[in-house]
Amino acid sequence: MSRWVASLRLVGVGFFIGGSIVLGVFAGLWLDERLNTRLFWIIGLILGIIVAFYGVYRMLLPFISSKQDRGDK
Amino acid sequence: MPRRGCLGCSLPVLVGVFVIFLTLTVFGLIGGALGSSLFGDLGLPSWLTVPRPDPQLPAEEVFHLFGFPITNSIIAAWLTIIVLVGISYAVSHRIRLIPGRLQCLLESALGWLYDFCKEVAGEEYGRRFFPVVTTIFLFVIMNAWLGLLPGFGSILVTGAEGEPAHLLRAANTDINMPLALALVSFVFVEYFGIRAHGGFGYLSKFINAGQFFRSLGQLFTGKLRTGLGGMFTGVIDIFVGILEALSELVRIVSFTFRLFGNMTAGEILLLIAMFLVPWVLALPFYGLELLVGFVQALIFGGLTLVFLTLAVAPHEAGAA
Repeated sequence: MSRWVASLRLVGVGFFIGGSIVLGVFAGLWLDERLNTRLFWIIGLILGIIVAFYGVYRMLLPFISSKQDRGDK
Repeated sequence: MPRRGCLGCSLPVLVGVFVIFLTLTVFGLIGGALGSSLFGDLGLPSWLTVPRPDPQLPAEEVFHLFGFPITNSIIAAWLTIIVLVGISYAVSHRIRLIPGRLQCLLESALGWLYDFCKEVAGEEYGRRFFPVVTTIFLFVIMNAWLGLLPGFGSILVTGAEGEPAHLLRAANTDINMPLALALVSFVFVEYFGIRAHGGFGYLSKFINAGQFFRSLGQLFTGKLRTGLGGMFTGVIDIFVGILEALSELVRIVSFTFRLFGNMTAGEILLLIAMFLVPWVLALPFYGLELLVGFVQALIFGGLTLVFLTLAVAPHEAGAA
């Protein structure tokens, strides 16, 4: 993996975490307003956090595996 | 003839420029908001003081065209398009073997971007992605750099509602423009992904129920233990597919807010710097904004390129 790809992937991580949590919470708040409940924003928050962790894991997977490869050699 | 002084100027000119700079620095320090709060009001003439900045978050409507409100950021975006098309036309309609300055600049910039695309996406896809990525890069960087010119945020006209409005405003500081660019990037990523894998092949990344139904079938054929284990993996697969789809949507949000946030923060930083210490000492911030414009354009174009590359990669290798 070239240095460009590596650095661009790392740059994307921060805003991805923020974006997924904010999107989850706002989608939940919107549903709460539509359905007159107070539950979905928590579900949205939790889903946002899960998506954030999963996305970051996917983004960092190449780094982890390439490090392990080097360690094996 | 030996050249006197340095930087190609004669000594008196150099000293003159230095004195003017020094005078402006001192006036800026004393006359700015920082100086006024330290030394009190010195009664400087009004053209030496800077009015309190009033940053507007939403773009202001300048006029209406066929019922559509035309905001100052749209005018700036049009200006960017005109400048880019103008430069491209001026260079491309008389390309020479021995390039002039402008052709040389453009050729080296495009060559660098082309190499960048090939390095990230490989020979074949790099050539295909190059137009998309370069257009996004050039548009974002030109928007950011044009926004630093005098006239942006300083020319006042009568707006659509009759109130004073700024004629020009850097297009990236209006959230609609980053959102539009993020949507363009999203559409191209999906388009190339579908072209590379076919409609069903690409969608199988998001709707991943094959394992679940296979294991359901195994349950009916009596393989209870394998079937149940497989169903558990199948449920996880379905969930992972949903997460993939959601993270695709989150990308639009993170693309939008990264560009909008950085550009708006830069503009407000410049306004505040010009208010606190006007004239000379705010200049480094302009240099910083040149860098930020370049970096943001590189990130926007580069991340689009990375996601395009991921979309056309085989699914198993998609994570790699």
